[in-house]
Amino acid sequence: MRIPRILCAVAATAVLASCSAAPVSDNAPTSEVPGYLAVADEAVTSGGTLDLQMTVDNGAPTGLDPQLADVATSWQLMSLVYETLVTVGPDFSIEPALAESWDNPSPTEYVFNLREGVTFSNGRAMTADDVVGSFERLLAGQGVWKTQIGPVEKVSKVDDRTVSVTLSSPYQPFLASLANVPAAVLPMQEIEDGSVDITKEMLGTGPFVVKSHRQDVSWQFTRRDGYWAEGKPSADTVNITIAGQEQARMAALQNGSADLVMLGNVDAPELLNGVRGTAVGTQATTDFYYLMLNSNAPGGKFDDPRVRQAINIAMDRDAIADSALGGLGKPTGVTPAGLPGSCDPALLPSARADLDRARQLLKEAGAENLTFELAAYSTAPAPAVAQVIQQNLQRIGITVNIEQLDEGSWSGKVYGEVPATFDAALSWFAGYADAAMVGKWWNPEQAGFNLGFMEPNAELNTAIDKAIATPAGPERDTALQQLCDAVDTDAQMIPLVTRPALIGYRSDALSPTLYATEGYGNVFRGIADFRLLTK
Amino acid sequence: MRLFSWWLRRALSAVVTLFLVSILIFAASRLMPGGFAEVVLGPFATPEQKAEVAAKYGLDESIVVQYWLWLTTALTGDFGISMISGEPVTTEFGLRLPVTAELALFGVAAALLIGVPLGVWTAVRAGGRRGRAALGRLASGLGVSVPEFVLGSIVVFLFSRYALGLTVGGYVPVGEDPVGNLQSMLLPAAVLSVFVIAVTARTTRDAVLGVLVEPYITAAIARGESPGFIVVRHVLRNASIPVVTVLTTVTAYLLGGAVIIEYLFNLPGVGTYIVQAVGRRDYAVVQAGVLLAAVVFIVMNTLTDAAAGVLDPRFGSAAKGRKR
Repeated sequence: MRIPRILCAVAATAVLASCSAAPVSDNAPTSEVPGYLAVADEAVTSGGTLDLQMTVDNGAPTGLDPQLADVATSWQLMSLVYETLVTVGPDFSIEPALAESWDNPSPTEYVFNLREGVTFSNGRAMTADDVVGSFERLLAGQGVWKTQIGPVEKVSKVDDRTVSVTLSSPYQPFLASLANVPAAVLPMQEIEDGSVDITKEMLGTGPFVVKSHRQDVSWQFTRRDGYWAEGKPSADTVNITIAGQEQARMAALQNGSADLVMLGNVDAPELLNGVRGTAVGTQATTDFYYLMLNSNAPGGKFDDPRVRQAINIAMDRDAIADSALGGLGKPTGVTPAGLPGSCDPALLPSARADLDRARQLLKEAGAENLTFELAAYSTAPAPAVAQVIQQNLQRIGITVNIEQLDEGSWSGKVYGEVPATFDAALSWFAGYADAAMVGKWWNPEQAGFNLGFMEPNAELNTAIDKAIATPAGPERDTALQQLCDAVDTDAQMIPLVTRPALIGYRSDALSPTLYATEGYGNVFRGIADFRLLTK
Repeated sequence: MRLFSWWLRRALSAVVTLFLVSILIFAASRLMPGGFAEVVLGPFATPEQKAEVAAKYGLDESIVVQYWLWLTTALTGDFGISMISGEPVTTEFGLRLPVTAELALFGVAAALLIGVPLGVWTAVRAGGRRGRAALGRLASGLGVSVPEFVLGSIVVFLFSRYALGLTVGGYVPVGEDPVGNLQSMLLPAAVLSVFVIAVTARTTRDAVLGVLVEPYITAAIARGESPGFIVVRHVLRNASIPVVTVLTTVTAYLLGGAVIIEYLFNLPGVGTYIVQAVGRRDYAVVQAGVLLAAVVFIVMNTLTDAAAGVLDPRFGSAAKGRKR
């Protein structure tokens, strides 16, 4: 049977079309307000039930204690109930929250004036004692955030509405660190008298209260009476379904059973392109992927800094961002791209060197035919990032064997032994809301988790200390650049590209407030403002 | 007496099998790379936190002591506490079992009401037009060979992209909203049923074809009995053993959790729960879940053997013959 020529032509056109560049998504939200991906329409009447879907639930043996929460998913869920003294604005400026104002009489002293009329959801008024007690509990506890809030020396109650915090040395990220859930103000009176176990229930000053929770299945939050911000929250009820499968979340968005879903596939904007009533926004985050090169690796593969530097030089961050992340990530140094004062990755020492220099470094180190295993977990897009790294390194004669593991096996391999026995691994960090904060994890003696594979570097530690201590201004920009350079040269943990967050929502059913860039991975930051159009 | 001793032997064999399975499960869960400390507590956990959790869940004991403690408490019906939710494992399974049981019920009903009649029909009509027989074989072959995730993905895409009137994803408890429950379960049940119907129909067809060539069927035809009567009276009972075996195996499989279907349609069933627990190294849940699946299989196998004895008395005679 002969196939008509016209059919051949149609088929050929279809094939060619599919091979051309991906179509640009036309359902991306656009906001005219700077710093926002979308701003809720306040003209829409309040009320209704908001149906959201997330990928994973808060799940840890530490339970619901916000001070022990160390992942963005937990911060996101807990932010519906707990609030902090200050918050971050869309441009990462520090804005009032439970503290309506603050003074900074000296570089080491902060005085917070507490907002009037704030109550916990049990009706008791928040006091300065709750603030002081929360600080003390955080500092005495085992949560990772006590490292991030800095060198707090003393917290004292000045009067019922004023709290003073004294630091032992200047710490520029202090206010930014207070803007995250682990630094929330807790109901200390109830915690101390034992009437509330905050590992099992949430009692905060926030806009919602928990009505029900089924682990890994769903959450239901309801609006609380007596919330201090007038007219907020807008929604009466928030239902959050935990849907681990991307396809299930996309289906829920398309058929309207979910108003907003978190997506993981970087192709989601194209996949949902043309689906009526939906919008897919790419929220930039300060989170970023990084490559760990184990200084204790068997055979001493990476104990010579020249080998690590050669690998760093060969990293084509633009290629990773374009190929593995669909152009949605951004190249970054250790100061996450998008944060004020972050360094330009194109100016890093590794970016200024070429592949010949990388080859020369390998030759000098006697590692010309290096082969190593790269452990990457199987959650997309990590495998794609690993593949681009593999291709990058092939250019300088390094052979990379990718070992794709489930998250549990990956964690066991990377963190399970001290000293660690893996060669290299791929992971990502939350980038937080101040350019110097995440840099603290480059000091293994402070971070702890990387003691097994990272050797302390005195020069790098000095750069970290300087970056966090220098107040905002030109001097800080210089200090941040020095931090970036030091991390780049050390090359034990190599920052690569930022990790985008994809948010799909029903534009015909929901008017959300979403920042264009998020520091604490909290897509629900503006949830009290979300307006439902059709419910 | 002979029946009693048969049940006794089966019970003893089940106990031994479960004991061996329990060792296997326990060893496998502890041999998984990545310990609870790294996975459950995360990289930032301090040694004190790790020690606290280990002590809380008895993970600081030797592996033998851990196994013994688990086994002895499991025998009292206490399968431990989930490290993720902090709730008893039995409570967690109790919440998820209705979803899985409902899905299994739909699957088994489809097998019985569609798969078996379809198998009989295609077997009885096997001598008819060649095209029809080939079509039947093709359909059942496709049903068996198309993976659930392919069919499920297509269904999810079609029913979510185009408003075709059925709910995709999510679960509505039957006690909360019976109609909503039916709407949420219809598509996953339909996808699941394709395989179940196909495998049941194929098995039934082969079994019925095997019986149709028996001399007593020829005799029945010669006696002038009607085809319907012959199928009901002579064919079905004699062809039923392999069908019952397949049905019980499918039921046991479904009760263990149809993981792919549960994942695709976001149903909070047992299968999804066990897979999540494996990922998080939530040992108590993994151990209880796999043991539960093993119990279901053993019970269903025992019931299959018992049913075979009832359906075909020669099973008992054969055993008796072996003894002599």
